[in-house]
Amino acid sequence: MNPELSQDLSLLHLILNASFPVQVVMLLLLGASLMSWWFIFIKLFALKRALRVTDAFEREFWGGGDLNALYQRVAAERDGAGEMERIFEAGFREFMKLRQQAGVSVHVIIDGTRRAMRATYQRELDGLESHLSFLATVGSVSPYVGLFGTVWGIMIAFMGLSSVAQATLAQVAPGIAEALIATAMGLFAAIPAVVAYNRYTHDIDRLANRMESFMEEFSNILQRQVPKAV
Amino acid sequence: MNVPADARFVSRSDPKLLAGVLALGVHLAFVLLLVFGVSWQTQHPAPVMVDVWQDLPEPQPARPQLAPPKPAPPPKAEEPPPPKAPDIALEKKKAEAEHLKKLKAIEAAEEKARAEAAKAAREKLQAEQKKRDLLRQMEEDDLRRVADEEAAREANAMKQAAARAAASARQTEVSRAMGQYRDLISAKVRGNTRLPDNLKGNPEVRCLVKLLPTGEVQSVRVTRSSGNTAYDDAVVRAIEKSSPLPLPSDRDARAAFVPELSFVHRPKE
Repeated sequence: MNPELSQDLSLLHLILNASFPVQVVMLLLLGASLMSWWFIFIKLFALKRALRVTDAFEREFWGGGDLNALYQRVAAERDGAGEMERIFEAGFREFMKLRQQAGVSVHVIIDGTRRAMRATYQRELDGLESHLSFLATVGSVSPYVGLFGTVWGIMIAFMGLSSVAQATLAQVAPGIAEALIATAMGLFAAIPAVVAYNRYTHDIDRLANRMESFMEEFSNILQRQVPKAV
Repeated sequence: MNVPADARFVSRSDPKLLAGVLALGVHLAFVLLLVFGVSWQTQHPAPVMVDVWQDLPEPQPARPQLAPPKPAPPPKAEEPPPPKAPDIALEKKKAEAEHLKKLKAIEAAEEKARAEAAKAAREKLQAEQKKRDLLRQMEEDDLRRVADEEAAREANAMKQAAARAAASARQTEVSRAMGQYRDLISAKVRGNTRLPDNLKGNPEVRCLVKLLPTGEVQSVRVTRSSGNTAYDDAVVRAIEKSSPLPLPSDRDARAAFVPELSFVHRPKE
Protein backbone atom coordinates (compact mmCIF):
# COMPACT_ATOMS: atom_id res chain seq x y z
CA MET A 1 0.00 0.00 0.00
CA ASN A 2 1.28 3.44 -0.79
CA PRO A 3 2.38 5.11 2.40
CA GLU A 4 0.94 8.51 1.53
CA LEU A 5 -2.37 6.98 0.66
CA SER A 6 -2.88 4.87 3.72
CA GLN A 7 -5.15 6.68 6.08
CA ASP A 8 -3.03 5.70 8.98
CA LEU A 9 -4.40 7.58 11.95
CA SER A 10 -2.55 5.78 14.67
CA LEU A 11 -1.69 7.90 17.65
CA LEU A 12 2.05 7.73 17.19
CA HIS A 13 1.75 8.49 13.51
CA LEU A 14 -0.38 11.54 14.22
CA ILE A 15 2.03 12.87 16.80
CA LEU A 16 5.12 12.29 14.67
CA ASN A 17 3.51 13.89 11.63
CA ALA A 18 2.34 17.00 13.42
CA SER A 19 3.87 20.31 12.50
CA PHE A 20 6.77 21.58 14.54
CA PRO A 21 4.97 24.12 16.76
CA VAL A 22 2.32 21.55 17.58
CA GLN A 23 5.01 19.06 18.48
CA VAL A 24 6.68 21.60 20.75
CA VAL A 25 3.36 22.26 22.44
CA MET A 26 2.78 18.55 22.93
CA LEU A 27 6.24 18.10 24.41
CA LEU A 28 5.66 21.01 26.75
CA LEU A 29 2.37 19.59 27.87
CA LEU A 30 3.81 16.16 28.38
CA GLY A 31 6.52 17.64 30.58
CA ALA A 32 3.98 19.68 32.53
CA SER A 33 1.79 16.64 33.01
CA LEU A 34 4.68 14.51 34.21
CA MET A 35 5.84 17.20 36.63
CA SER A 36 2.38 17.84 37.96
CA TRP A 37 1.75 14.16 38.57
CA TRP A 38 5.10 13.92 40.29
CA PHE A 39 4.16 16.76 42.61
CA ILE A 40 0.72 15.32 43.09
CA PHE A 41 2.20 12.12 44.44
CA ILE A 42 4.87 13.88 46.50
CA LYS A 43 2.26 16.10 48.10
CA LEU A 44 -0.07 13.19 48.61
CA PHE A 45 2.56 11.30 50.59
CA ALA A 46 3.70 14.41 52.47
CA LEU A 47 0.19 15.42 53.50
CA LYS A 48 -0.76 11.92 54.54
CA ARG A 49 2.33 11.76 56.69
CA ALA A 50 1.70 15.22 58.18
CA LEU A 51 -1.85 14.25 59.09
CA ARG A 52 -0.75 11.00 60.64
CA VAL A 53 2.08 12.57 62.68
CA THR A 54 -0.14 15.43 63.83
CA ASP A 55 -2.82 13.04 65.01
CA ALA A 56 -0.26 11.03 66.94
CA PHE A 57 1.25 14.13 68.52
CA GLU A 58 -2.09 15.57 69.58
CA ARG A 59 -3.01 12.31 71.22
CA GLU A 60 0.26 12.28 73.08
CA PHE A 61 0.09 15.95 74.05
CA TRP A 62 -3.46 15.81 75.39
CA GLY A 63 -2.81 12.44 76.95
CA GLY A 64 -1.50 14.29 79.99
CA GLY A 65 2.15 13.35 79.87
CA ASP A 66 5.02 15.38 81.22
CA LEU A 67 5.79 18.36 78.96
CA ASN A 68 9.51 18.17 79.71
CA ALA A 69 9.65 14.52 78.72
CA LEU A 70 7.70 15.29 75.56
CA TYR A 71 10.09 18.10 74.75
CA GLN A 72 13.09 15.83 75.23
CA ARG A 73 11.63 13.25 72.91
CA VAL A 74 10.72 15.74 70.20
CA ALA A 75 14.09 17.46 70.38
CA ALA A 76 15.82 14.10 70.04
CA GLU A 77 14.02 13.17 66.85
CA ARG A 78 14.06 16.52 65.13
CA ASP A 79 14.30 15.25 61.60
CA GLY A 80 11.47 12.81 61.94
CA ALA A 81 9.25 15.23 63.79
CA GLY A 82 5.98 16.49 62.37
CA GLU A 83 4.93 20.08 61.84
CA MET A 84 3.07 20.47 65.11
CA GLU A 85 5.86 18.83 67.05
CA ARG A 86 8.29 21.35 65.72
CA ILE A 87 6.01 24.22 66.68
CA PHE A 88 5.77 22.75 70.12
CA GLU A 89 9.52 22.35 70.38
CA ALA A 90 10.24 25.92 69.25
CA GLY A 91 7.71 27.36 71.66
CA PHE A 92 8.83 25.28 74.60
CA ARG A 93 12.51 26.05 74.05
CA GLU A 94 11.83 29.78 73.87
CA PHE A 95 9.70 29.52 76.98
CA MET A 96 12.46 27.77 78.92
CA LYS A 97 15.07 30.28 77.84
CA LEU A 98 12.95 33.28 78.74
CA ARG A 99 11.96 31.80 82.07
CA GLN A 100 15.57 31.37 83.10
CA GLN A 101 16.22 35.08 82.64
CA ALA A 102 15.53 37.01 85.78
CA GLY A 103 13.03 39.85 85.94
CA VAL A 104 11.05 39.01 82.85
CA SER A 105 7.32 39.53 83.14
CA VAL A 106 4.76 36.88 82.24
CA HIS A 107 3.57 38.85 79.26
CA VAL A 108 7.00 39.08 77.80
CA ILE A 109 7.58 35.37 78.24
CA ILE A 110 4.30 34.43 76.59
CA ASP A 111 4.73 36.95 73.78
CA GLY A 112 8.20 35.66 73.03
CA THR A 113 6.98 32.08 73.04
CA ARG A 114 4.14 32.91 70.67
CA ARG A 115 6.46 34.70 68.28
CA ALA A 116 8.77 31.74 68.18
CA MET A 117 5.87 29.38 67.56
CA ARG A 118 4.41 31.61 64.84
CA ALA A 119 7.73 31.77 63.03
CA THR A 120 7.98 28.00 63.01
CA TYR A 121 4.34 27.75 61.97
CA GLN A 122 4.91 30.02 58.98
CA ARG A 123 7.91 27.99 57.93
CA GLU A 124 6.07 24.71 58.24
CA LEU A 125 3.11 26.05 56.31
CA ASP A 126 5.44 27.23 53.62
CA GLY A 127 6.91 23.75 53.40
CA LEU A 128 3.46 22.20 53.16
CA GLU A 129 2.34 24.58 50.46
CA SER A 130 5.42 24.23 48.32
CA HIS A 131 4.75 23.03 44.76
CA LEU A 132 1.07 23.80 45.08
CA SER A 133 1.50 26.90 42.97
CA PHE A 134 2.95 24.73 40.23
CA LEU A 135 -0.17 22.58 40.26
CA ALA A 136 -2.31 25.71 40.11
CA THR A 137 -0.33 27.02 37.16
CA VAL A 138 -0.52 23.77 35.24
CA GLY A 139 -4.22 23.54 35.96
CA SER A 140 -5.00 26.96 34.64
CA VAL A 141 -2.52 27.34 31.82
CA SER A 142 -2.15 23.97 30.14
CA PRO A 143 -5.64 24.00 28.54
CA TYR A 144 -4.68 27.25 26.84
CA VAL A 145 -1.37 25.85 25.72
CA GLY A 146 -3.16 22.84 24.30
CA LEU A 147 -5.67 25.09 22.63
CA PHE A 148 -2.85 27.05 21.06
CA GLY A 149 -1.43 23.87 19.61
CA THR A 150 -4.83 22.87 18.28
CA VAL A 151 -5.50 26.23 16.69
CA TRP A 152 -2.11 26.17 15.08
CA GLY A 153 -2.63 22.65 13.75
CA ILE A 154 -6.04 23.50 12.34
CA MET A 155 -4.61 26.60 10.68
CA ILE A 156 -2.01 24.42 8.96
CA ALA A 157 -4.68 21.93 7.94
CA PHE A 158 -6.82 24.62 6.37
CA MET A 159 -3.86 26.22 4.62
CA GLY A 160 -3.38 22.89 2.88
CA LEU A 161 -6.92 23.17 1.60
CA SER A 162 -6.25 26.33 -0.35
CA SER A 163 -4.50 24.41 -3.10
CA VAL A 164 -7.44 22.17 -3.93
CA ALA A 165 -10.53 23.24 -5.76
CA GLN A 166 -13.12 21.37 -3.79
CA ALA A 167 -12.54 20.62 -0.18
CA THR A 168 -13.37 17.23 1.17
CA LEU A 169 -13.38 16.18 4.75
CA ALA A 170 -10.66 13.63 4.05
CA GLN A 171 -8.22 16.38 3.28
CA VAL A 172 -8.54 18.13 6.62
CA ALA A 173 -9.44 15.26 8.89
CA PRO A 174 -5.89 14.07 9.68
CA GLY A 175 -4.70 17.60 10.38
CA ILE A 176 -7.58 18.31 12.68
CA ALA A 177 -7.17 14.99 14.44
CA GLU A 178 -3.51 15.63 15.13
CA ALA A 179 -4.28 19.13 16.27
CA LEU A 180 -6.94 17.97 18.67
CA ILE A 181 -4.43 15.70 20.38
CA ALA A 182 -2.81 18.86 21.73
CA THR A 183 -6.06 19.90 23.41
CA ALA A 184 -6.54 16.43 24.80
CA MET A 185 -3.07 16.51 26.29
CA GLY A 186 -3.67 19.94 27.77
CA LEU A 187 -6.83 18.74 29.43
CA PHE A 188 -5.14 15.58 30.61
CA ALA A 189 -2.50 17.69 32.32
CA ALA A 190 -4.93 20.26 33.67
CA ILE A 191 -7.74 18.21 35.16
CA PRO A 192 -5.73 16.20 37.72
CA ALA A 193 -3.70 19.28 38.60
CA VAL A 194 -6.82 21.32 39.38
CA VAL A 195 -8.42 18.50 41.36
CA ALA A 196 -5.25 17.91 43.33
CA TYR A 197 -4.72 21.62 43.96
CA ASN A 198 -8.19 22.08 45.39
CA ARG A 199 -7.94 18.97 47.50
CA TYR A 200 -4.51 19.82 48.88
CA THR A 201 -5.33 23.44 49.67
CA HIS A 202 -8.34 22.23 51.61
CA ASP A 203 -6.23 19.69 53.51
CA ILE A 204 -3.53 22.24 54.27
CA ASP A 205 -6.12 24.76 55.48
CA ARG A 206 -7.48 22.26 57.94
CA LEU A 207 -3.99 21.40 59.14
CA ALA A 208 -3.18 25.11 59.56
CA ASN A 209 -6.33 25.60 61.59
CA ARG A 210 -5.37 22.78 63.88
CA MET A 211 -1.88 24.17 64.33
CA GLU A 212 -3.17 27.64 65.16
CA SER A 213 -5.59 26.28 67.73
CA PHE A 214 -2.78 24.25 69.20
CA MET A 215 -0.60 27.35 69.47
CA GLU A 216 -3.29 29.22 71.37
CA GLU A 217 -3.98 26.35 73.69
CA PHE A 218 -0.33 25.70 74.32
CA SER A 219 0.22 29.38 75.14
CA ASN A 220 -2.52 29.15 77.72
CA ILE A 221 -0.97 26.10 79.28
CA LEU A 222 2.44 27.78 79.47
CA GLN A 223 0.91 30.94 80.95
CA ARG A 224 -0.61 28.86 83.70
CA GLN A 225 2.79 27.34 84.42
CA VAL A 226 4.67 30.65 84.76
CA PRO A 227 3.57 31.63 88.31
CA LYS A 228 4.41 28.19 89.56
CA ALA A 229 7.90 28.36 88.24
CA VAL A 230 8.61 31.94 89.22
CA MET B 1 22.17 33.99 70.78
CA ASN B 2 22.23 30.61 69.26
CA VAL B 3 19.56 31.05 66.62
CA PRO B 4 20.69 28.43 64.11
CA ALA B 5 19.15 25.65 66.10
CA ASP B 6 15.79 27.35 65.66
CA ALA B 7 16.17 28.54 62.13
CA ARG B 8 16.88 25.22 60.56
CA PHE B 9 14.48 24.05 57.98
CA VAL B 10 14.56 20.36 57.73
CA SER B 11 13.61 19.05 54.37
CA ARG B 12 12.09 15.72 55.05
CA SER B 13 13.17 12.99 52.73
CA ASP B 14 9.95 12.60 50.74
CA PRO B 15 9.56 9.45 48.76
CA LYS B 16 10.34 11.36 45.61
CA LEU B 17 11.45 8.38 43.64
CA LEU B 18 8.24 6.52 44.37
CA ALA B 19 6.26 9.58 43.34
CA GLY B 20 8.17 9.81 40.09
CA VAL B 21 7.59 6.17 39.31
CA LEU B 22 3.89 6.53 40.04
CA ALA B 23 3.66 9.60 37.81
CA LEU B 24 5.29 7.72 34.97
CA GLY B 25 2.92 4.82 35.59
CA VAL B 26 -0.10 7.09 35.30
CA HIS B 27 1.08 8.39 31.95
CA LEU B 28 1.95 4.99 30.66
CA ALA B 29 -1.49 3.71 31.59
CA PHE B 30 -3.10 6.66 29.84
CA VAL B 31 -1.08 6.17 26.67
CA LEU B 32 -1.90 2.45 26.64
CA LEU B 33 -5.55 3.29 27.06
CA LEU B 34 -5.38 5.65 24.10
CA VAL B 35 -3.46 3.28 21.89
CA PHE B 36 -5.48 0.18 22.58
CA GLY B 37 -8.77 1.60 23.72
CA VAL B 38 -9.43 3.97 20.86
CA SER B 39 -9.51 2.59 17.38
CA TRP B 40 -7.89 5.26 15.27
CA GLN B 41 -7.72 3.15 12.18
CA THR B 42 -10.26 3.76 9.48
CA GLN B 43 -11.37 0.29 8.61
CA HIS B 44 -12.99 -0.37 5.31
CA PRO B 45 -15.93 -2.62 5.79
CA ALA B 46 -15.43 -5.72 3.77
CA PRO B 47 -18.14 -6.30 1.21
CA VAL B 48 -20.18 -9.24 2.18
CA MET B 49 -19.75 -12.15 -0.16
CA VAL B 50 -22.54 -14.61 -0.37
CA ASP B 51 -22.04 -17.95 -2.00
CA VAL B 52 -25.21 -19.56 -3.15
CA TRP B 53 -24.75 -23.25 -3.13
CA GLN B 54 -27.17 -25.59 -4.72
CA ASP B 55 -26.21 -28.52 -2.64
CA LEU B 56 -24.41 -28.77 0.61
CA PRO B 57 -21.23 -30.67 0.03
CA GLU B 58 -19.67 -29.69 3.31
CA PRO B 59 -21.60 -31.72 5.84
CA GLN B 60 -20.79 -35.37 5.95
CA PRO B 61 -23.31 -37.16 3.85
CA ALA B 62 -24.99 -39.81 5.85
CA ARG B 63 -23.15 -42.90 4.88
CA PRO B 64 -25.49 -45.54 3.67
CA GLN B 65 -25.46 -47.91 6.50
CA LEU B 66 -25.04 -51.05 4.59
CA ALA B 67 -25.41 -53.94 6.89
CA PRO B 68 -22.81 -56.50 6.02
CA PRO B 69 -24.70 -59.22 4.24
CA LYS B 70 -25.20 -62.11 6.43
CA PRO B 71 -23.41 -65.13 5.14
CA ALA B 72 -25.90 -67.54 3.84
CA PRO B 73 -26.53 -70.34 6.27
CA PRO B 74 -24.40 -73.26 5.38
CA PRO B 75 -26.62 -75.59 3.52
CA LYS B 76 -27.36 -78.66 5.48
CA ALA B 77 -26.56 -81.56 3.38
CA GLU B 78 -29.36 -83.90 4.01
CA GLU B 79 -28.00 -87.11 5.19
CA PRO B 80 -29.33 -89.85 3.13
CA PRO B 81 -31.25 -92.13 5.39
CA PRO B 82 -29.15 -95.07 6.38
CA PRO B 83 -30.04 -98.10 4.46
CA LYS B 84 -32.26 -100.27 6.41
CA ALA B 85 -30.87 -103.56 7.32
CA PRO B 86 -33.06 -106.23 5.92
CA ASP B 87 -34.57 -107.92 8.79
CA ILE B 88 -35.16 -111.15 7.29
CA ALA B 89 -34.43 -114.31 9.02
CA LEU B 90 -31.99 -116.29 7.03
CA GLU B 91 -32.71 -119.62 8.56
CA LYS B 92 -35.69 -120.26 6.33
CA LYS B 93 -36.20 -122.26 3.31
CA LYS B 94 -34.12 -122.04 0.19
CA ALA B 95 -37.07 -120.73 -1.65
CA GLU B 96 -37.24 -118.22 0.85
CA ALA B 97 -33.54 -117.73 0.37
CA GLU B 98 -34.08 -117.30 -3.27
CA HIS B 99 -36.87 -114.99 -2.63
CA LEU B 100 -34.62 -113.26 -0.26
CA LYS B 101 -31.89 -113.01 -2.83
CA LYS B 102 -34.40 -111.52 -5.21
CA LEU B 103 -35.55 -109.21 -2.58
CA LYS B 104 -31.95 -108.33 -1.83
CA ALA B 105 -31.30 -107.60 -5.40
CA ILE B 106 -34.31 -105.35 -5.49
CA GLU B 107 -33.24 -103.74 -2.35
CA ALA B 108 -29.74 -103.28 -3.63
CA ALA B 109 -31.10 -101.70 -6.74
CA GLU B 110 -33.30 -99.52 -4.68
CA GLU B 111 -30.38 -98.72 -2.49
CA LYS B 112 -28.25 -97.81 -5.43
CA ALA B 113 -30.95 -95.64 -6.88
CA ARG B 114 -31.41 -93.94 -3.58
CA ALA B 115 -27.69 -93.37 -3.18
CA GLU B 116 -27.54 -91.94 -6.63
CA ALA B 117 -30.44 -89.67 -5.91
CA ALA B 118 -28.77 -88.51 -2.70
CA LYS B 119 -25.53 -87.93 -4.49
CA ALA B 120 -27.29 -85.91 -7.12
CA ALA B 121 -29.05 -83.92 -4.45
CA ARG B 122 -25.74 -83.31 -2.70
CA GLU B 123 -24.11 -82.19 -5.87
CA LYS B 124 -26.96 -79.92 -6.62
CA LEU B 125 -26.72 -78.46 -3.16
CA GLN B 126 -23.00 -77.98 -3.52
CA ALA B 127 -23.45 -76.24 -6.80
CA GLU B 128 -26.06 -74.04 -5.28
CA GLN B 129 -23.76 -73.26 -2.41
CA LYS B 130 -21.00 -72.35 -4.78
CA LYS B 131 -23.30 -70.12 -6.71
CA ARG B 132 -24.46 -68.44 -3.55
CA ASP B 133 -20.87 -67.91 -2.44
CA LEU B 134 -20.06 -66.36 -5.74
CA LEU B 135 -23.08 -64.12 -5.52
CA ARG B 136 -22.17 -63.03 -2.04
CA GLN B 137 -18.63 -62.32 -3.14
CA MET B 138 -19.93 -60.16 -5.95
CA GLU B 139 -22.27 -58.38 -3.64
CA GLU B 140 -19.49 -57.62 -1.20
CA ASP B 141 -17.27 -56.37 -3.96
CA ASP B 142 -20.07 -54.15 -5.09
CA LEU B 143 -20.57 -52.72 -1.66
CA ARG B 144 -16.90 -52.10 -1.18
CA ARG B 145 -16.71 -50.33 -4.47
CA VAL B 146 -19.69 -48.17 -3.55
CA ALA B 147 -18.09 -47.24 -0.22
CA ASP B 148 -14.82 -46.39 -1.92
CA GLU B 149 -16.59 -44.21 -4.39
CA GLU B 150 -18.45 -42.52 -1.57
CA ALA B 151 -15.21 -41.73 0.27
CA ALA B 152 -13.57 -40.42 -2.84
CA ARG B 153 -16.53 -38.21 -3.58
CA GLU B 154 -16.50 -36.90 -0.04
CA ALA B 155 -12.80 -36.06 -0.14
CA ASN B 156 -13.34 -34.36 -3.43
CA ALA B 157 -16.19 -32.29 -2.07
CA MET B 158 -14.14 -31.29 0.91
CA LYS B 159 -11.26 -30.25 -1.28
CA GLN B 160 -13.61 -28.26 -3.42
CA ALA B 161 -15.13 -26.56 -0.39
CA ALA B 162 -11.70 -25.61 0.92
CA ALA B 163 -10.72 -24.26 -2.45
CA ARG B 164 -13.97 -22.36 -2.63
CA ALA B 165 -13.43 -20.90 0.86
CA ALA B 166 -9.90 -19.80 -0.03
CA ALA B 167 -11.16 -18.30 -3.24
CA SER B 168 -13.90 -16.43 -1.45
CA ALA B 169 -11.47 -15.09 1.17
CA ARG B 170 -9.22 -13.90 -1.61
CA GLN B 171 -12.25 -12.44 -3.36
CA THR B 172 -13.20 -10.57 -0.21
CA GLU B 173 -9.73 -9.16 0.13
CA VAL B 174 -9.62 -8.10 -3.46
CA SER B 175 -13.01 -6.48 -3.39
CA ARG B 176 -12.11 -4.69 -0.18
CA ALA B 177 -9.01 -3.27 -1.81
CA MET B 178 -11.07 -2.38 -4.83
CA GLY B 179 -13.64 -0.57 -2.75
CA GLN B 180 -10.98 1.26 -0.82
CA TYR B 181 -9.17 2.46 -3.90
CA ARG B 182 -12.41 3.33 -5.64
CA ASP B 183 -13.11 5.61 -2.69
CA LEU B 184 -9.61 7.05 -2.79
CA ILE B 185 -9.88 7.78 -6.50
CA SER B 186 -13.31 9.31 -6.01
CA ALA B 187 -12.01 11.51 -3.23
CA LYS B 188 -9.07 12.66 -5.29
CA VAL B 189 -11.19 13.44 -8.32
CA ARG B 190 -13.84 15.13 -6.25
CA GLY B 191 -11.17 17.31 -4.70
CA ASN B 192 -10.12 18.45 -8.15
CA THR B 193 -13.58 19.00 -9.51
CA ARG B 194 -14.64 22.56 -9.98
CA LEU B 195 -18.39 22.44 -10.17
CA PRO B 196 -20.13 24.68 -12.67
CA ASP B 197 -22.43 27.24 -11.16
CA ASN B 198 -25.56 26.07 -12.87
CA LEU B 199 -25.37 22.54 -11.56
CA LYS B 200 -28.56 21.32 -9.98
CA GLY B 201 -29.12 18.14 -8.06
CA ASN B 202 -26.68 15.31 -7.95
CA PRO B 203 -26.32 14.17 -11.55
CA GLU B 204 -24.21 11.18 -12.37
CA VAL B 205 -21.51 11.02 -15.00
CA ARG B 206 -20.01 7.80 -16.24
CA CYS B 207 -16.57 7.90 -17.77
CA LEU B 208 -14.27 5.35 -19.22
CA VAL B 209 -10.74 6.11 -18.09
CA LYS B 210 -7.77 4.48 -19.77
CA LEU B 211 -4.95 4.09 -17.33
CA LEU B 212 -1.30 3.15 -17.52
CA PRO B 213 -0.07 0.63 -14.96
CA THR B 214 1.48 3.50 -13.04
CA GLY B 215 -1.90 5.16 -12.60
CA GLU B 216 -1.24 7.80 -15.22
CA VAL B 217 -4.42 8.82 -17.00
CA GLN B 218 -4.17 8.23 -20.75
CA SER B 219 -7.57 9.26 -21.89
CA VAL B 220 -10.98 9.97 -20.52
CA ARG B 221 -14.22 9.45 -22.37
CA VAL B 222 -17.70 10.21 -21.14
CA THR B 223 -19.85 7.12 -21.63
CA ARG B 224 -22.99 8.52 -20.11
CA SER B 225 -23.47 12.22 -19.86
CA SER B 226 -25.18 13.90 -16.98
CA GLY B 227 -27.01 16.16 -19.40
CA ASN B 228 -24.93 19.12 -18.35
CA THR B 229 -21.97 19.42 -20.69
CA ALA B 230 -20.20 21.94 -18.50
CA TYR B 231 -20.32 19.51 -15.65
CA ASP B 232 -19.20 16.61 -17.87
CA ASP B 233 -16.21 18.65 -18.99
CA ALA B 234 -15.44 19.60 -15.44
CA VAL B 235 -15.37 15.95 -14.41
CA VAL B 236 -13.13 15.01 -17.35
CA ARG B 237 -10.76 17.82 -16.48
CA ALA B 238 -10.76 16.78 -12.85
CA ILE B 239 -9.85 13.22 -13.78
CA GLU B 240 -7.05 14.42 -15.99
CA LYS B 241 -5.83 16.68 -13.24
CA SER B 242 -5.89 13.83 -10.73
CA SER B 243 -3.37 11.85 -12.72
CA PRO B 244 -1.70 9.69 -11.47
CA LEU B 245 -4.57 7.98 -9.76
CA PRO B 246 -3.90 5.86 -6.70
CA LEU B 247 -3.85 2.19 -7.57
CA PRO B 248 -3.82 -0.86 -5.38
CA SER B 249 -0.65 -2.86 -5.26
CA ASP B 250 -2.61 -6.09 -5.30
CA ARG B 251 -2.48 -7.56 -8.77
CA ASP B 252 -6.02 -8.89 -8.81
CA ALA B 253 -7.49 -5.74 -7.38
CA ARG B 254 -5.48 -3.72 -9.87
CA ALA B 255 -7.05 -5.65 -12.71
CA ALA B 256 -10.30 -3.83 -12.04
CA PHE B 257 -8.60 -0.50 -12.64
CA VAL B 258 -5.69 -0.80 -14.90
CA PRO B 259 -6.37 -1.03 -18.55
CA GLU B 260 -9.71 0.66 -18.33
CA LEU B 261 -11.59 2.05 -15.43
CA SER B 262 -15.28 2.67 -15.60
CA PHE B 263 -15.72 5.64 -13.35
CA VAL B 264 -18.94 6.95 -11.90
CA HIS B 265 -18.91 10.44 -10.52
CA ARG B 266 -21.49 12.35 -8.54
CA PRO B 267 -20.79 15.85 -7.33
CA LYS B 268 -22.11 15.16 -3.88
CA GLU B 269 -21.84 12.11 -1.80
